[in-house]
Amino acid sequence: MLHCHYTTMNIPGNTSGTDVSVLERQQARMKWQQQQQEGLSNGNDHRFRARVEIKPDPDLQYEWPDFSDACQDQLIPPLMTDHNVKKRKTHEDYKQKAVSKENGVKDKKIKGCSDENSTETSLKEKPKVVETQKQEYIHVRARRGQATDSHSLAERVRREKISERMKYLQDLVPGCNKITGKAGMLDEIINYVQSLQKQVEFLSMKLATLQPRLDFDIDSLIMKEMFEIPAIGYSSEVANSTYFQVNSLLEMGNSPIDTMLRRSTGGPVSIPEAFVLSSCFNQMQPGVTWDGDLHNLYRMEIQQESTTIPFQPHKFTGSYEGSNLKMEL
Amino acid sequence: MHTCTKLKSEFIKKWMKGLQICCSSKTNMDFLERKKKIKLCADIALASAKNSTTSWCIALISEAKKHDENKTLVDNLLGPELRIKPQKTNHQMSASHKRARSKKILKKSHHVCQRMKKMGPPKSNIATYITKILVKERTQVLKRLVPGGESMDEISLIKEALDYILSLKVQVDVMRTLANATEVLNQSDSTIFD
Repeated sequence: MLHCHYTTMNIPGNTSGTDVSVLERQQARMKWQQQQQEGLSNGNDHRFRARVEIKPDPDLQYEWPDFSDACQDQLIPPLMTDHNVKKRKTHEDYKQKAVSKENGVKDKKIKGCSDENSTETSLKEKPKVVETQKQEYIHVRARRGQATDSHSLAERVRREKISERMKYLQDLVPGCNKITGKAGMLDEIINYVQSLQKQVEFLSMKLATLQPRLDFDIDSLIMKEMFEIPAIGYSSEVANSTYFQVNSLLEMGNSPIDTMLRRSTGGPVSIPEAFVLSSCFNQMQPGVTWDGDLHNLYRMEIQQESTTIPFQPHKFTGSYEGSNLKMEL
Repeated sequence: MHTCTKLKSEFIKKWMKGLQICCSSKTNMDFLERKKKIKLCADIALASAKNSTTSWCIALISEAKKHDENKTLVDNLLGPELRIKPQKTNHQMSASHKRARSKKILKKSHHVCQRMKKMGPPKSNIATYITKILVKERTQVLKRLVPGGESMDEISLIKEALDYILSLKVQVDVMRTLANATEVLNQSDSTIFD
Protein backbone atom coordinates (compact mmCIF):
# COMPACT_ATOMS: atom_id res chain seq x y z
CA MET A 1 0.00 0.00 0.00
CA LEU A 2 1.79 3.01 -1.18
CA HIS A 3 0.29 6.27 -0.32
CA CYS A 4 1.57 9.65 -0.92
CA HIS A 5 -0.26 11.51 1.65
CA TYR A 6 0.74 14.93 2.66
CA THR A 7 -2.07 17.17 3.58
CA THR A 8 -2.28 20.61 4.97
CA MET A 9 -5.54 22.02 6.00
CA ASN A 10 -6.99 25.02 4.35
CA ILE A 11 -8.78 27.16 6.81
CA PRO A 12 -12.02 28.42 5.39
CA GLY A 13 -13.21 31.80 6.32
CA ASN A 14 -16.64 31.15 7.63
CA THR A 15 -17.60 29.38 10.74
CA SER A 16 -19.92 26.91 9.12
CA GLY A 17 -17.16 25.91 6.79
CA THR A 18 -14.79 25.31 9.62
CA ASP A 19 -17.31 23.22 11.46
CA VAL A 20 -17.75 20.98 8.53
CA SER A 21 -14.06 20.75 7.92
CA VAL A 22 -13.41 19.95 11.56
CA LEU A 23 -15.84 17.09 11.29
CA GLU A 24 -14.32 15.94 8.07
CA ARG A 25 -10.90 16.15 9.50
CA GLN A 26 -11.89 14.16 12.53
CA GLN A 27 -13.44 11.51 10.41
CA ALA A 28 -10.43 11.39 8.19
CA ARG A 29 -8.19 11.11 11.17
CA MET A 30 -10.21 8.24 12.57
CA LYS A 31 -10.03 6.47 9.26
CA TRP A 32 -6.34 7.06 9.05
CA GLN A 33 -5.74 5.74 12.50
CA GLN A 34 -7.74 2.66 11.75
CA GLN A 35 -5.82 2.12 8.59
CA GLN A 36 -2.61 2.59 10.40
CA GLN A 37 -3.56 -0.04 12.87
CA GLU A 38 -4.43 -2.37 10.03
CA GLY A 39 -1.17 -1.66 8.34
CA LEU A 40 0.74 -2.39 11.48
CA SER A 41 -1.07 -5.60 12.04
CA ASN A 42 -0.14 -6.59 8.54
CA GLY A 43 3.38 -5.98 9.54
CA ASN A 44 4.63 -4.84 6.23
CA ASP A 45 4.20 -1.21 6.72
CA HIS A 46 7.10 0.76 7.95
CA ARG A 47 5.92 3.61 5.90
CA PHE A 48 3.58 5.80 7.76
CA ARG A 49 0.96 7.81 6.29
CA ALA A 50 1.79 11.23 7.38
CA ARG A 51 -0.32 14.11 8.20
CA VAL A 52 0.47 17.56 9.22
CA GLU A 53 -2.62 19.13 10.58
CA ILE A 54 -3.44 22.44 11.95
CA LYS A 55 -6.75 22.87 13.65
CA PRO A 56 -8.24 26.33 13.76
CA ASP A 57 -10.70 27.75 16.17
CA PRO A 58 -14.12 28.17 14.68
CA ASP A 59 -14.31 31.88 15.22
CA LEU A 60 -11.64 33.21 13.06
CA GLN A 61 -12.42 36.83 13.00
CA TYR A 62 -10.93 38.08 16.19
CA GLU A 63 -9.69 34.97 17.76
CA TRP A 64 -6.48 33.55 16.77
CA PRO A 65 -6.55 30.05 15.41
CA ASP A 66 -4.77 27.58 17.44
CA PHE A 67 -1.51 26.95 15.81
CA SER A 68 -0.52 23.96 17.78
CA ASP A 69 0.08 21.24 15.34
CA ALA A 70 -1.95 18.54 16.85
CA CYS A 71 -1.13 15.33 15.25
CA GLN A 72 -2.60 12.48 17.07
CA ASP A 73 -0.28 9.85 15.90
CA GLN A 74 1.02 7.40 18.30
CA LEU A 75 4.44 6.17 17.75
CA ILE A 76 4.79 2.53 18.33
CA PRO A 77 8.25 1.36 19.29
CA PRO A 78 8.50 -1.65 17.00
CA LEU A 79 8.13 0.63 14.04
CA MET A 80 11.19 2.56 14.89
CA THR A 81 13.33 -0.50 14.71
CA ASP A 82 12.48 -0.70 11.08
CA HIS A 83 14.61 2.29 10.49
CA ASN A 84 17.03 0.88 8.13
CA VAL A 85 18.75 3.20 5.82
CA LYS A 86 19.20 0.80 3.02
CA LYS A 87 15.62 -0.29 3.09
CA ARG A 88 14.37 3.22 2.99
CA LYS A 89 16.68 4.42 0.37
CA THR A 90 15.44 1.82 -2.05
CA HIS A 91 12.09 3.46 -1.94
CA GLU A 92 13.20 6.79 -3.12
CA ASP A 93 9.84 8.36 -3.09
CA TYR A 94 9.04 7.66 0.45
CA LYS A 95 10.88 8.46 3.50
CA GLN A 96 9.66 9.00 6.93
CA LYS A 97 10.86 11.47 9.32
CA ALA A 98 9.72 11.89 12.83
CA VAL A 99 9.97 15.30 14.20
CA SER A 100 9.58 15.45 17.88
CA LYS A 101 7.93 18.50 19.10
CA GLU A 102 7.44 19.75 22.59
CA ASN A 103 4.23 21.39 23.26
CA GLY A 104 4.38 24.96 22.28
CA VAL A 105 7.98 24.79 21.14
CA LYS A 106 8.61 24.10 17.57
CA ASP A 107 12.14 22.85 17.75
CA LYS A 108 13.13 20.46 15.13
CA LYS A 109 15.65 18.00 16.26
CA ILE A 110 17.40 17.67 13.00
CA LYS A 111 20.15 15.90 14.78
CA GLY A 112 17.65 13.28 15.73
CA CYS A 113 16.66 12.88 12.12
CA SER A 114 20.16 12.49 10.91
CA ASP A 115 20.76 9.98 13.64
CA GLU A 116 17.97 7.87 12.30
CA ASN A 117 19.84 7.46 9.13
CA SER A 118 22.59 5.53 10.71
CA THR A 119 21.70 2.00 11.42
CA GLU A 120 23.80 1.75 14.50
CA THR A 121 21.90 4.42 16.31
CA SER A 122 18.52 3.09 15.34
CA LEU A 123 18.48 0.97 18.40
CA LYS A 124 19.47 3.88 20.52
CA GLU A 125 16.53 5.74 19.17
CA LYS A 126 14.20 3.26 20.66
CA PRO A 127 14.43 4.39 24.25
CA LYS A 128 14.29 7.97 23.09
CA VAL A 129 11.19 7.25 21.19
CA VAL A 130 9.62 5.54 24.08
CA GLU A 131 10.33 8.54 26.25
CA THR A 132 8.98 11.02 23.86
CA GLN A 133 6.04 8.96 22.86
CA LYS A 134 3.68 11.15 24.73
CA GLN A 135 4.76 14.20 22.83
CA GLU A 136 3.36 15.14 19.53
CA TYR A 137 5.04 13.98 16.41
CA ILE A 138 4.82 15.24 12.94
CA HIS A 139 5.33 12.64 10.33
CA VAL A 140 6.17 13.99 6.99
CA ARG A 141 6.30 12.14 3.81
CA ALA A 142 8.38 13.34 0.92
CA ARG A 143 6.50 14.12 -2.16
CA ARG A 144 7.14 12.41 -5.40
CA GLY A 145 10.16 13.64 -7.23
CA GLN A 146 11.45 15.79 -4.42
CA ALA A 147 14.49 15.58 -2.28
CA THR A 148 14.35 13.13 0.53
CA ASP A 149 17.06 14.61 2.62
CA SER A 150 15.92 15.05 6.15
CA HIS A 151 17.18 18.57 6.20
CA SER A 152 15.25 19.57 3.17
CA LEU A 153 12.17 17.91 4.54
CA ALA A 154 12.48 19.91 7.68
CA GLU A 155 13.00 22.98 5.62
CA ARG A 156 9.94 22.28 3.61
CA VAL A 157 7.79 21.77 6.66
CA ARG A 158 9.05 25.00 8.06
CA ARG A 159 8.47 26.83 4.85
CA GLU A 160 4.95 25.58 4.57
CA LYS A 161 4.18 26.62 8.09
CA ILE A 162 5.43 30.07 7.36
CA SER A 163 3.48 30.35 4.15
CA GLU A 164 0.34 29.26 5.92
CA ARG A 165 0.74 31.99 8.43
CA MET A 166 1.41 34.43 5.69
CA LYS A 167 -2.00 33.55 4.36
CA TYR A 168 -3.60 34.53 7.62
CA LEU A 169 -1.71 37.70 7.43
CA GLN A 170 -3.18 38.54 4.07
CA ASP A 171 -6.60 38.52 5.63
CA LEU A 172 -5.54 40.54 8.58
CA VAL A 173 -3.37 43.25 7.18
CA PRO A 174 -5.16 45.47 4.71
CA GLY A 175 -3.71 45.66 1.26
CA CYS A 176 -1.78 42.47 1.39
CA ASN A 177 -3.69 40.64 -1.27
CA LYS A 178 -1.45 41.51 -4.13
CA ILE A 179 1.80 40.84 -2.44
CA THR A 180 3.40 37.49 -2.73
CA GLY A 181 6.69 36.62 -1.25
CA LYS A 182 8.02 36.74 2.21
CA ALA A 183 9.94 39.96 2.05
CA GLY A 184 7.01 42.04 0.87
CA MET A 185 4.66 40.52 3.37
CA LEU A 186 7.07 41.14 6.18
CA ASP A 187 7.38 44.69 5.04
CA GLU A 188 3.62 45.12 5.17
CA ILE A 189 3.43 43.61 8.62
CA ILE A 190 6.11 45.92 9.88
CA ASN A 191 4.42 48.96 8.43
CA TYR A 192 1.11 47.98 9.86
CA VAL A 193 2.44 47.28 13.34
CA GLN A 194 4.31 50.56 13.32
CA SER A 195 1.27 52.48 12.22
CA LEU A 196 -0.88 50.88 14.88
CA GLN A 197 1.65 51.66 17.56
CA LYS A 198 1.87 55.25 16.41
CA GLN A 199 -1.88 55.50 16.48
CA VAL A 200 -1.89 54.33 20.06
CA GLU A 201 0.67 56.97 20.94
CA PHE A 202 -1.24 59.67 19.21
CA LEU A 203 -4.52 58.69 20.78
CA SER A 204 -3.05 58.62 24.22
CA MET A 205 -1.64 62.06 23.62
CA LYS A 206 -5.02 63.25 22.47
CA LEU A 207 -6.68 61.83 25.53
CA ALA A 208 -4.09 63.47 27.71
CA THR A 209 -4.87 66.85 26.22
CA LEU A 210 -8.60 66.42 26.30
CA GLN A 211 -8.76 65.38 29.87
CA PRO A 212 -7.24 67.63 32.48
CA ARG A 213 -7.18 64.80 34.92
CA LEU A 214 -6.80 61.14 34.44
CA ASP A 215 -10.29 60.23 35.42
CA PHE A 216 -12.61 59.47 32.62
CA ASP A 217 -16.23 59.53 33.22
CA ILE A 218 -17.69 56.77 31.21
CA ASP A 219 -21.23 57.32 32.30
CA SER A 220 -21.61 60.83 31.19
CA LEU A 221 -19.55 60.05 28.14
CA ILE A 222 -22.01 57.47 27.05
CA MET A 223 -24.96 59.60 27.81
CA LYS A 224 -23.47 62.48 25.98
CA GLU A 225 -22.71 60.22 23.14
CA MET A 226 -26.29 59.27 22.89
CA PHE A 227 -27.44 62.84 22.98
CA GLU A 228 -25.01 64.04 20.47
CA ILE A 229 -25.97 61.44 17.99
CA PRO A 230 -29.38 62.86 17.28
CA ALA A 231 -28.34 66.39 17.97
CA ILE A 232 -25.26 66.74 15.90
CA GLY A 233 -25.67 63.75 13.70
CA TYR A 234 -22.34 62.44 14.69
CA SER A 235 -20.47 60.03 12.56
CA SER A 236 -21.46 56.44 12.62
CA GLU A 237 -18.11 55.75 14.15
CA VAL A 238 -19.48 56.81 17.46
CA ALA A 239 -22.60 54.80 16.98
CA ASN A 240 -20.57 51.72 16.37
CA SER A 241 -18.51 52.42 19.38
CA THR A 242 -17.44 49.92 21.86
CA TYR A 243 -19.98 51.36 24.23
CA PHE A 244 -22.20 48.47 23.69
CA GLN A 245 -25.74 48.60 22.53
CA VAL A 246 -25.97 52.33 22.48
CA ASN A 247 -28.78 51.90 20.07
CA SER A 248 -30.93 50.36 22.70
CA LEU A 249 -30.63 53.57 24.60
CA LEU A 250 -31.43 55.64 21.61
CA GLU A 251 -34.66 53.83 21.23
CA MET A 252 -35.75 54.94 24.61
CA GLY A 253 -36.87 58.23 23.42
CA ASN A 254 -35.36 61.42 22.26
CA SER A 255 -37.59 64.07 23.70
CA PRO A 256 -36.18 64.17 27.22
CA ILE A 257 -32.73 64.37 25.68
CA ASP A 258 -33.41 67.85 24.46
CA THR A 259 -34.47 68.94 27.86
CA MET A 260 -31.36 67.49 29.33
CA LEU A 261 -29.24 69.24 26.83
CA ARG A 262 -30.74 72.56 27.70
CA ARG A 263 -29.99 71.90 31.31
CA SER A 264 -33.45 72.32 32.56
CA THR A 265 -33.13 71.69 36.19
CA GLY A 266 -36.81 71.20 36.64
CA GLY A 267 -36.77 68.27 34.32
CA PRO A 268 -39.46 65.74 34.51
CA VAL A 269 -38.97 62.94 36.88
CA SER A 270 -40.04 60.54 34.21
CA ILE A 271 -36.73 60.89 32.59
CA PRO A 272 -35.87 57.81 30.69
CA GLU A 273 -34.57 55.18 32.91
CA ALA A 274 -31.46 55.23 30.84
CA PHE A 275 -29.98 58.03 32.88
CA VAL A 276 -30.98 56.51 36.12
CA LEU A 277 -29.64 53.20 35.11
CA SER A 278 -26.39 54.49 33.87
CA SER A 279 -25.78 56.40 37.03
CA CYS A 280 -27.11 54.55 39.94
CA PHE A 281 -26.62 50.89 39.94
CA ASN A 282 -27.51 49.91 43.35
CA GLN A 283 -31.11 49.94 42.32
CA MET A 284 -31.58 48.40 38.95
CA GLN A 285 -34.71 49.86 37.54
CA PRO A 286 -37.03 47.21 36.24
CA GLY A 287 -38.20 47.32 32.71
CA VAL A 288 -34.92 48.45 31.28
CA THR A 289 -33.32 45.89 29.12
CA TRP A 290 -29.58 46.05 28.92
CA ASP A 291 -27.05 43.70 27.72
CA GLY A 292 -25.36 41.67 30.38
CA ASP A 293 -22.01 43.13 29.52
CA LEU A 294 -23.20 46.61 30.10
CA HIS A 295 -24.64 45.71 33.47
CA ASN A 296 -21.44 44.23 34.66
CA LEU A 297 -19.30 47.00 33.33
CA TYR A 298 -21.26 49.67 35.07
CA ARG A 299 -21.47 47.79 38.27
CA MET A 300 -17.74 47.45 38.29
CA GLU A 301 -17.23 51.10 37.64
CA ILE A 302 -19.62 52.25 40.28
CA GLN A 303 -18.24 50.09 42.94
CA GLN A 304 -14.87 51.69 42.66
CA GLU A 305 -13.57 54.84 44.20
CA SER A 306 -15.72 57.84 43.68
CA THR A 307 -14.56 60.96 42.03
CA THR A 308 -17.09 63.59 41.44
CA ILE A 309 -17.51 64.72 37.95
CA PRO A 310 -16.80 68.39 37.79
CA PHE A 311 -18.98 69.66 35.05
CA GLN A 312 -22.30 68.05 35.45
CA PRO A 313 -23.87 68.23 38.87
CA HIS A 314 -25.76 71.33 38.20
CA LYS A 315 -27.13 69.79 35.11
CA PHE A 316 -28.41 66.66 36.52
CA THR A 317 -29.18 67.19 40.14
CA GLY A 318 -32.71 68.20 39.47
CA SER A 319 -33.46 65.11 37.54
CA TYR A 320 -31.66 62.79 39.77
CA GLU A 321 -33.13 63.82 43.02
CA GLY A 322 -35.84 61.37 42.61
CA SER A 323 -33.41 58.59 41.98
CA ASN A 324 -31.23 59.44 44.90
CA LEU A 325 -28.11 59.74 42.95
CA LYS A 326 -24.72 61.22 43.08
CA MET A 327 -22.65 60.87 39.99
CA GLU A 328 -20.03 58.53 41.02
CA LEU A 329 -17.51 56.66 39.15
CA MET B 1 -17.65 39.87 17.13
CA HIS B 2 -18.86 38.53 20.41
CA THR B 3 -15.42 37.70 21.68
CA CYS B 4 -14.27 41.03 20.39
CA THR B 5 -16.76 43.01 22.43
CA LYS B 6 -15.97 40.93 25.45
CA LEU B 7 -12.32 41.68 25.04
CA LYS B 8 -13.08 45.33 24.55
CA SER B 9 -15.16 45.53 27.69
CA GLU B 10 -12.46 43.78 29.65
CA PHE B 11 -9.92 46.16 28.28
CA ILE B 12 -11.93 49.25 29.16
CA LYS B 13 -12.58 48.02 32.65
CA LYS B 14 -8.97 47.38 33.35
CA TRP B 15 -7.86 50.55 31.70
CA MET B 16 -10.16 52.72 33.74
CA LYS B 17 -9.18 50.88 36.87
CA GLY B 18 -5.54 51.45 36.15
CA LEU B 19 -6.10 55.10 35.43
CA GLN B 20 -7.85 55.54 38.70
CA ILE B 21 -4.98 53.97 40.54
CA CYS B 22 -2.64 56.35 38.78
CA CYS B 23 -4.89 59.26 39.49
CA SER B 24 -5.08 58.58 43.17
CA SER B 25 -1.34 58.54 43.54
CA LYS B 26 -0.56 61.97 42.16
CA THR B 27 -2.69 65.03 41.96
CA ASN B 28 -1.14 67.17 39.30
CA MET B 29 0.68 65.75 36.36
CA ASP B 30 1.90 67.53 33.38
CA PHE B 31 0.90 66.62 29.89
CA LEU B 32 3.68 64.20 29.05
CA GLU B 33 3.33 62.32 32.26
CA ARG B 34 -0.34 61.96 31.76
CA LYS B 35 0.17 60.68 28.27
CA LYS B 36 2.67 58.16 29.48
CA LYS B 37 0.37 56.97 32.17
CA ILE B 38 -2.52 56.64 29.81
CA LYS B 39 -0.49 54.65 27.35
CA LEU B 40 1.00 52.47 30.02
CA CYS B 41 -2.34 51.70 31.54
CA ALA B 42 -3.75 50.93 28.15
CA ASP B 43 -0.95 48.56 27.29
CA ILE B 44 -1.09 46.69 30.53
CA ALA B 45 -4.84 46.56 30.45
CA LEU B 46 -4.76 45.08 26.98
CA ALA B 47 -2.15 42.52 27.83
CA SER B 48 -3.97 41.40 30.93
CA ALA B 49 -7.39 41.53 29.37
CA LYS B 50 -6.37 39.07 26.74
CA ASN B 51 -5.78 36.54 29.46
CA SER B 52 -3.64 34.43 27.26
CA THR B 53 -0.18 33.10 27.46
CA THR B 54 1.17 34.56 24.28
CA SER B 55 4.64 35.74 24.83
CA TRP B 56 4.09 39.31 23.80
CA CYS B 57 1.59 39.68 26.63
CA ILE B 58 4.00 38.26 29.09
CA ALA B 59 6.83 40.35 27.75
CA LEU B 60 4.81 43.55 28.02
CA ILE B 61 3.81 42.87 31.58
CA SER B 62 7.25 41.86 32.70
CA GLU B 63 8.69 44.91 31.01
CA ALA B 64 6.30 47.10 32.92
CA LYS B 65 7.03 45.37 36.16
CA LYS B 66 10.69 46.15 35.91
CA HIS B 67 10.05 49.66 37.06
CA ASP B 68 9.12 49.69 40.68
CA GLU B 69 6.70 52.51 40.37
CA ASN B 70 4.52 50.53 38.07
CA LYS B 71 4.58 47.44 40.15
CA THR B 72 1.54 48.12 42.29
CA LEU B 73 -0.37 49.24 39.27
CA VAL B 74 0.44 46.12 37.37
CA ASP B 75 -0.35 43.88 40.29
CA ASN B 76 -3.70 45.45 40.84
CA LEU B 77 -4.58 45.28 37.22
CA LEU B 78 -3.52 41.74 36.76
CA GLY B 79 -5.69 40.50 39.51
CA PRO B 80 -4.99 37.67 41.87
CA GLU B 81 -5.36 34.83 39.44
CA LEU B 82 -2.81 36.17 37.03
CA ARG B 83 -0.11 37.01 39.50
CA ILE B 84 1.45 33.66 38.96
CA LYS B 85 2.53 34.97 35.62
CA PRO B 86 5.71 36.75 36.68
CA GLN B 87 7.32 33.54 37.84
CA LYS B 88 6.33 31.87 34.66
CA THR B 89 7.63 34.83 32.76
CA ASN B 90 11.10 34.54 34.18
CA HIS B 91 11.26 30.87 33.44
CA GLN B 92 9.89 31.32 29.99
CA MET B 93 12.13 34.20 29.18
CA SER B 94 15.24 32.54 30.46
CA ALA B 95 14.28 29.28 28.83
CA SER B 96 13.58 31.00 25.56
CA HIS B 97 16.84 32.87 25.79
CA LYS B 98 18.71 29.69 26.38
CA ARG B 99 16.82 28.07 23.60
CA ALA B 100 17.59 30.95 21.30
CA ARG B 101 21.25 30.84 22.15
CA SER B 102 21.61 27.13 21.68
CA LYS B 103 19.61 27.37 18.51
CA LYS B 104 21.90 30.06 17.25
CA ILE B 105 24.90 27.89 17.89
CA LEU B 106 23.24 24.97 16.16
CA LYS B 107 22.27 27.11 13.23
CA LYS B 108 25.70 28.55 12.84
CA SER B 109 27.38 25.17 12.81
CA HIS B 110 24.73 23.93 10.48
CA HIS B 111 25.27 26.81 8.14
CA VAL B 112 28.98 26.32 8.16
CA CYS B 113 28.52 22.69 7.20
CA GLN B 114 26.14 23.60 4.47
CA ARG B 115 28.43 26.24 3.16
CA MET B 116 31.24 23.76 2.99
CA LYS B 117 29.04 21.53 0.91
CA LYS B 118 27.77 24.17 -1.38
CA MET B 119 31.04 25.68 -2.41
CA GLY B 120 29.91 25.67 -6.00
CA PRO B 121 28.07 28.68 -7.35
CA PRO B 122 27.57 30.86 -4.32
CA LYS B 123 25.97 33.90 -5.85
CA SER B 124 24.83 32.65 -9.19
CA ASN B 125 21.28 33.33 -8.16
CA ILE B 126 21.51 36.88 -7.00
CA ALA B 127 17.80 37.35 -6.66
CA THR B 128 17.38 34.74 -4.00
CA TYR B 129 20.44 35.99 -2.24
CA ILE B 130 19.02 39.49 -2.10
CA THR B 131 15.66 38.19 -1.00
CA LYS B 132 17.27 36.30 1.82
CA ILE B 133 19.06 39.37 3.01
CA LEU B 134 15.89 41.42 2.85
CA VAL B 135 13.92 38.85 4.75
CA LYS B 136 16.58 38.67 7.40
CA GLU B 137 16.62 42.40 7.80
CA ARG B 138 12.91 42.62 8.10
CA THR B 139 12.62 39.84 10.61
CA GLN B 140 15.11 41.74 12.69
CA VAL B 141 12.96 44.84 12.54
CA LEU B 142 9.85 42.88 13.39
CA LYS B 143 11.59 41.34 16.34
CA ARG B 144 12.26 44.77 17.68
CA LEU B 145 8.69 45.90 17.16
CA VAL B 146 6.84 43.06 18.75
CA PRO B 147 7.36 43.02 22.50
CA GLY B 148 9.36 40.05 23.54
CA GLY B 149 10.23 39.23 20.00
CA GLU B 150 13.97 38.95 20.24
CA SER B 151 13.97 35.50 21.63
CA MET B 152 11.64 33.86 19.16
CA ASP B 153 12.21 31.88 16.06
CA GLU B 154 10.71 32.99 12.82
CA ILE B 155 7.59 30.90 12.82
CA SER B 156 6.41 31.83 16.27
CA LEU B 157 7.45 35.40 15.61
CA ILE B 158 4.96 35.67 12.80
CA LYS B 159 2.29 34.09 14.93
CA GLU B 160 2.97 36.47 17.78
CA ALA B 161 2.99 39.39 15.42
CA LEU B 162 -0.41 38.52 14.08
CA ASP B 163 -1.85 38.13 17.54
CA TYR B 164 -0.30 41.42 18.52
CA ILE B 165 -1.82 43.12 15.49
CA LEU B 166 -5.25 41.89 16.47
CA SER B 167 -4.98 43.24 19.95
CA LEU B 168 -3.50 46.51 18.80
CA LYS B 169 -6.51 46.94 16.55
CA VAL B 170 -8.79 46.47 19.50
CA GLN B 171 -6.79 48.93 21.55
CA VAL B 172 -6.84 51.56 18.83
CA ASP B 173 -10.58 51.12 18.36
CA VAL B 174 -11.34 51.61 22.00
CA MET B 175 -9.02 54.54 22.46
CA ARG B 176 -10.31 56.25 19.39
CA THR B 177 -13.91 56.02 20.46
CA LEU B 178 -13.05 57.26 23.91
CA ALA B 179 -11.15 60.18 22.47
CA ASN B 180 -14.00 61.05 20.17
CA ALA B 181 -16.50 60.84 22.97
CA THR B 182 -14.46 63.11 25.22
CA GLU B 183 -13.99 65.49 22.37
CA VAL B 184 -17.68 65.66 21.74
CA LEU B 185 -18.29 66.06 25.41
CA ASN B 186 -15.94 68.96 25.67
CA GLN B 187 -17.34 70.56 22.60
CA SER B 188 -20.86 70.34 23.85
CA ASP B 189 -19.74 71.69 27.18
CA SER B 190 -18.14 74.67 25.59
CA THR B 191 -21.17 75.35 23.45
CA ILE B 192 -23.45 75.11 26.39
CA PHE B 193 -21.40 77.42 28.44
CA ASP B 194 -21.34 80.04 25.76
